[in-house]
Amino acid sequence: MVAIPKTEVVAVRPHHTIWGDAVIRLRRNKLAMIGLAFIVFLSLIAIFAPLITPFSFSDQNYYEVLEGPSAKHWLGTDQLGRDTFARLIYGARTSLSVGIFTQFIVLCIGLPVGAISGYAGGKIDNALMRFVDVMYAFPDLLLVILLSSVFRGTYFGGSIYMIFLAIGLVAWVNIARLVRGQILSLKTRDFVSAARAMGGMGNYITWRHLLPNALGPVIVSITFNIPRAIFTEAALSYIGIGVKPPNPSWGAMINDGFSLIFAKPYMLIFPAIALALLMLSFTFLGDGLRDALDPKLRR
Amino acid sequence: MFRFIVRRILWLLLVLFVVLLITFILMHLVPGGPWDREKALSPRVIELLNRRYGLDQPLWEQFANYLWGILHGDLGISYSYSDRNVTDILLRGLPKTATLGILAFILAQGIGIPFGMAAALKQNSAIDYVSVMFATIFASIPGFVLGILLMILFSVTLHWLPTSGWGSVQQLIMPVFCLAALPAAQSARITRASTLDVMRQDYIRTARSKGLMENVVRIRHIFRNSLIPVVTVAGPELANLVTGSFIIENLFAIPGIGRLFVNGIAARDYSLIMGAILFYAFTIAILNLVVDILYAAIDPRIRYD
Amino acid sequence: MKPLLEVHNLTTNFHTQDGIVKAVDNVSYDVNVGEAIALVGESGCGKTVSALSILRLIAEPPGKIVSGEVLLDGTDLLKLSPDEMRKVRGAKISMIFQEPLTSLNPVLTIGRQLTEGLELHKQMSHDEAEREAINLLRLVGISNPEGRINNYPHQFSGGMRQRVMIAIAIACRPQLIIADEPTTAVDVTIQAQLLELIKGISRQYNTALMLITHNLGVVARYAHRVFVMYAGKIVEHGSALEVYHYPDHPYTAGLLASVPRLDEPRKTRLLPIKDQPPDLILLPTGCAFHPRCNYAIKRCIDEVPSLYEVDRNHYSACWIAQTGQKPWQKKSS
Repeated sequence: MVAIPKTEVVAVRPHHTIWGDAVIRLRRNKLAMIGLAFIVFLSLIAIFAPLITPFSFSDQNYYEVLEGPSAKHWLGTDQLGRDTFARLIYGARTSLSVGIFTQFIVLCIGLPVGAISGYAGGKIDNALMRFVDVMYAFPDLLLVILLSSVFRGTYFGGSIYMIFLAIGLVAWVNIARLVRGQILSLKTRDFVSAARAMGGMGNYITWRHLLPNALGPVIVSITFNIPRAIFTEAALSYIGIGVKPPNPSWGAMINDGFSLIFAKPYMLIFPAIALALLMLSFTFLGDGLRDALDPKLRR
Repeated sequence: MFRFIVRRILWLLLVLFVVLLITFILMHLVPGGPWDREKALSPRVIELLNRRYGLDQPLWEQFANYLWGILHGDLGISYSYSDRNVTDILLRGLPKTATLGILAFILAQGIGIPFGMAAALKQNSAIDYVSVMFATIFASIPGFVLGILLMILFSVTLHWLPTSGWGSVQQLIMPVFCLAALPAAQSARITRASTLDVMRQDYIRTARSKGLMENVVRIRHIFRNSLIPVVTVAGPELANLVTGSFIIENLFAIPGIGRLFVNGIAARDYSLIMGAILFYAFTIAILNLVVDILYAAIDPRIRYD
Repeated sequence: MKPLLEVHNLTTNFHTQDGIVKAVDNVSYDVNVGEAIALVGESGCGKTVSALSILRLIAEPPGKIVSGEVLLDGTDLLKLSPDEMRKVRGAKISMIFQEPLTSLNPVLTIGRQLTEGLELHKQMSHDEAEREAINLLRLVGISNPEGRINNYPHQFSGGMRQRVMIAIAIACRPQLIIADEPTTAVDVTIQAQLLELIKGISRQYNTALMLITHNLGVVARYAHRVFVMYAGKIVEHGSALEVYHYPDHPYTAGLLASVPRLDEPRKTRLLPIKDQPPDLILLPTGCAFHPRCNYAIKRCIDEVPSLYEVDRNHYSACWIAQTGQKPWQKKSS
């Protein structure tokens, strides 16, 4: 009996990279895609607002106060004669920019703090984590309110940058904790030892090997932070210490419209629904991202 | 266990101290003071008022006095509620805030946990999809937005429920529901996720291989383990409940501590602000302590540290 | 004498995103009363799945026991109602799992995990069950059983947890114990102790034993008969000694050659079997082993071999062996 040479190719299943796989899975998640679509839609409206409505968010017209929806004013006007629809879509700019730009501050502070804490360990880690624990005990909304009040009196006073800062300075804590936790758990894992065995050292280990794996939950957390930031801004404006009027904000619109809730409920409904839909969209997207990036669900 | 509790209480006191310190500093960074009025008072009057209330003392002295006062249960005098004791004011608001919070908590866990478990045990069934849908929606919509929408529906359109106030059952329904919605949804999601995770574990397979009845497997094996993460997140959930209550109070005009806080900020009423923050921070810290103890009681693995 | 357990033509599939995995493909084996058999093969060859299929512990989506019979004392387990099946589990057939670190419930005491089976199947009272649990712990070699009965799993080492698993398995005096790689997750010194313990207990109570393992040393010492599995099928079976000394399948020979042996000179090369086990969704045509086999002929690529009695009571699913030639058996040991 002669053994025949092996000429056939052993079949292999198609291979996916971690990010490619994640994108495929995300695309398959209908809710996440709907959420993403709404976010994009709203962003486009916000960016092209001047092309969509002839009115500005601050033009007051005392002859057209508190009108109902009409051909000229699609959603009517408020008690200062401002066009509600215009305020609604310019308000989207406020909400979206707060949601997204706050995260830059969060990442700028949280990522390095968490990474240093996790990698350095020892006293630095202890000190930083004690600090984080204290901040954690502070009810975050209240701290944001305090910070907001402080900033209001300063140079920025009432501008949107003040809100970015107020929210960002409170929200970084969670990310720092998360990043630290990720780095700690990865530090002890086998592939770090493997990297060390191959000669990697110090910073190289952190950047090349640990961060890409730690990134998954961080991305998800940021996506969930966005609706929280949006909500915080709306809450601040509702209480009256958010962006200073006439800057548009859905929260301010809710506050303004509140006294008229029985007479003209539509003034409240639109900003409230807009807020709800935007937050829902980000939550769906966040859920989708979390499932897509979960290594346990990888094929 | 005892040492554990003592250590945590000491930690709690330290945290409260830092919180008060930060609040005190921030408050004094806010421009203006408790005497700001529409029509400015004359500087001489302001100076006299400051002296009377000790606001002209150096800041660290004011802070030290304040801390000393706390130990005696004295939280100072309110600057906006004409001479009334902050402690009294807060105590008046406390029952409303507490009732709101407790009812919301019970409602939230009472709905969230069972639905979460049912959804996991009957995965991909109708109850699973519906629960997940509702949980996702209510987890994303903040209480106050929900409050507005509900108000418009039930008060303005249907005239079934009042929009504000405190005292009757109808006035409680919407605020409690709005406050409970978010934690209920979160509890449901966590319970579902953790139950699913536990169901996949090897020891559940071992339990089944012993021939145990399915409901025994569920209660003794699955349920006891899946509740652990739920308890762990109860801490942050309670914190959310506390801060959430403050917005809901404002929305539904409930005379609780949240309203007092907002009014205090607007009026730069230092002692009221400090008092309210102290209350919130203290409540959150105590609740977290209770959660930690509960967690140790449920999970024997961390007991023996 | 009729066998205690007979598995006939068992097929269990798993439905995955990429296709259907035939984890167990038309597998048959049997165990006699008081006998110890071994089910041998590489990871992923289907041995554990076949055992879980016997106890019907396969998660229904994505898995499914498609066909076959599992006869325990003549009764087909696959046809029992869930309630009847529950009475079999733990009481007539019990299982020891591979991973002691995750196979015990972390929030229940060891005592409770022992007594729950006793209270259920043996209708013991709480106190009786506790006393029996203490006896069981002593039986498996855990010192101070009275004290340790209220300890939690995390307070035991891996080896001791496995002893507890053994105690749980023997608690209700089942007729058959399935031990799925009971020593893989444990260090070598403990491995021998555990195996001696399992063997000793099964002898003492005349319990049949089905030992699932990829460790051939274990097979030789503890089993009467052995079944070799590859890619979901049984490729060889016979008495342990015969299969060990005169393997009738190139895969078995390959397994034996890749293990260091004390009776061979130290400098003898270890010969691993080349390449990897096949993907169970994309199986090769004909004999699943042919891409890795040094002796494959054309027939091996074309036709799936069936089990054939090559020697007395020694079966092999290999076309070459069926012609009488066994080129992999170099010399008799």
